[in-house]
Amino acid sequence: MSQTSDKEKIILVVDDDQTNRLVLSSLLKESGYKAIIAVNGEEAVKIVDENHVDIILLDVMMPVMDGYQAARIIKSRQTYFIPIIFLTAMTDEAALAKCIDSGGDDFLTKPFNHTLLNAKIDSMLRIAGLYKSIAEQNIEIKNKNFQVEQEMIVTKKLFEKIINNDLRGDKTGLHYSMSPMSIFNGDLILAEKNQTSGFDVLIADFTGHGLSAAIGALPVSDVFHSMTNKCFSFNDILVEANLKLTELLPTHMFMAAGLISVDRSNNVLSVVNAGLPDMYLYRNGEILHTFKSRNIPLGISKLSASQFEVEMQTLEYGDRLIAATDGIMEANNAAGEMFGLERLLKVFEDNVDAEALFETILSSCSEFREGAEQTDDITLLEVCHLENIEYKTNVAFQNEHREPSNWSIQFSLDIKSLRQFDVLPYIMQAVNQLQPLGSGRTSVHTLLAEMFSNALDHGVLKLDSSMKNTPQGFMEFYQEKQKRLESMEEGHIQVSLHHELDANKGGRFTLHLMDSGEGYDFRNVDTHKNKYSGRGLKLVSSLATDMKVLGKGNAVMAYYDWDNK
Amino acid sequence: MSESDINFLTKWECVMSITINVSDDNKAATMKINGRFDFSMHNEFRKAYKDVSLSGGQYIVDLSATEYLDSSALGMLLLLKEHAESQDCGVTLTGYGDEIKEILTIASFDKIFTLS
Repeated sequence: MSQTSDKEKIILVVDDDQTNRLVLSSLLKESGYKAIIAVNGEEAVKIVDENHVDIILLDVMMPVMDGYQAARIIKSRQTYFIPIIFLTAMTDEAALAKCIDSGGDDFLTKPFNHTLLNAKIDSMLRIAGLYKSIAEQNIEIKNKNFQVEQEMIVTKKLFEKIINNDLRGDKTGLHYSMSPMSIFNGDLILAEKNQTSGFDVLIADFTGHGLSAAIGALPVSDVFHSMTNKCFSFNDILVEANLKLTELLPTHMFMAAGLISVDRSNNVLSVVNAGLPDMYLYRNGEILHTFKSRNIPLGISKLSASQFEVEMQTLEYGDRLIAATDGIMEANNAAGEMFGLERLLKVFEDNVDAEALFETILSSCSEFREGAEQTDDITLLEVCHLENIEYKTNVAFQNEHREPSNWSIQFSLDIKSLRQFDVLPYIMQAVNQLQPLGSGRTSVHTLLAEMFSNALDHGVLKLDSSMKNTPQGFMEFYQEKQKRLESMEEGHIQVSLHHELDANKGGRFTLHLMDSGEGYDFRNVDTHKNKYSGRGLKLVSSLATDMKVLGKGNAVMAYYDWDNK
Repeated sequence: MSESDINFLTKWECVMSITINVSDDNKAATMKINGRFDFSMHNEFRKAYKDVSLSGGQYIVDLSATEYLDSSALGMLLLLKEHAESQDCGVTLTGYGDEIKEILTIASFDKIFTLS
């Protein structure tokens, strides 16, 4: 190793015999080393404490402090590797073993051979050089690690602020637990209120763990939050998130995901499972339905809305959807066994208290692991369908300072426009821009969404809402809707929105929707049993300050009064 | 550590667990994966097919000796698919047992690969 001869190496010669010291010193100088001397162990210790020494040649028998003791002290204090070669006249094995035992790295018996001494010094210097470079690398790695960790902690904070919109709680019925195996989580949960006052939840698992896996969460979160807020449909959000990820992620990375939507106007649960383990709908102590993965994970190939397979189930209050990433099923115990499907299903089977199900799954999994090292991110999600739901007020709404004003907008949409894009989010956005609605925002969104789908589904597309009475029918309804929308040649919808200020308080919204359909004989419908054909209009009538069906039953007018206090 | 020491270590890590055989007509390449198919196979898997250039045909991944397959293995299969498609070839996965089949099914890989 050439690096060891870069600088003149310092060799400490420790011997009480002057002749020995002189012989050794001149020999070392001849070989190109710098020799310094000590007359006993104590002096040697002192020199090593105060100076840099590359190698020590140490005599054993000396007055004041012998070689064994000096070696022990020096080795216990060394901050870098200092090789010690014992020089001894003793030849019995026990004495030589004691040299090594007390901290010596090698020994040479007197009278020594010069060539052998030089060879031993060379060899020791080589080992010391290796020690030194390892120590330097260790320090460098430690510093780098510390830096990276600090950066990660800062980034994680930023990251969480961007992604986080915590709707968790007993009042919303959304519970989840995430335990990442490193600072960054390759699993992701996003939740956002939808236009039916229910919420959409995305649970996802990126290939791999840590930062590289977590980074894909940013675009997904961006798409998910902004599109849910703007009332884009379930499928559109998936198409967009998938598109972004396909463009962004390298070929070998993807995101297994489940998108779950709770429609509170119709009490329907929609689920798209794209590469996650089975999800379960739990009712009255048993698994009512299993949502299996029917889609390829996101980020692999570009897909259109109709290529996603959506499953729907009608919901009753108290129903629970349980979803997890593969971290639960694949959690290992110390023996290397996996938690597995059987154990998970047993937890469902044995569970008596629905309220405790979520916690029981978590605790069963962690009991099984018995503290074994975590090998994947573990995420568990529960969505409980509550009769009454209550959200924390969203601060973002209160920060809008625009003055309310008087305005009207009108959209006329022919069948082509209706077919080609989902116009609702754009109308909603226009309303949001014009009007700071405060807490009334969701209500206006819901009114508009329900009236619009009523006009489209029943007016233009002439779909029978009674189809939606069974879970099976619900799926068929949506498939039929897609089919008719694509083949229908005629039809239009007119949307008029009008806002008028009230002198004392907020104002009044007037929403008017008219469709090209045949309408229905609303005057003769049994008012008690089935006043409005669909559940949608029932919701409209309960949310609106007032509503009327007009014309031949193909137009609906709703008022919504809001207060700015 | 000397140059030769380092070379030794690298060689030692590459115990062959993937074999590849290209047919005489250059229309089929069969890759057999032995043992655990996970992230540790990444380099070896890529190395195995990287210089193979078929004139049309199929890349066949034989999973009969594969014990386990994780999500990074799924990612590697996607890389192979990309390689195959650039040569107008398909990828067929074959020989897998029930556990691996389950993983492939959850990921709906039957939609993007030929499973046989």
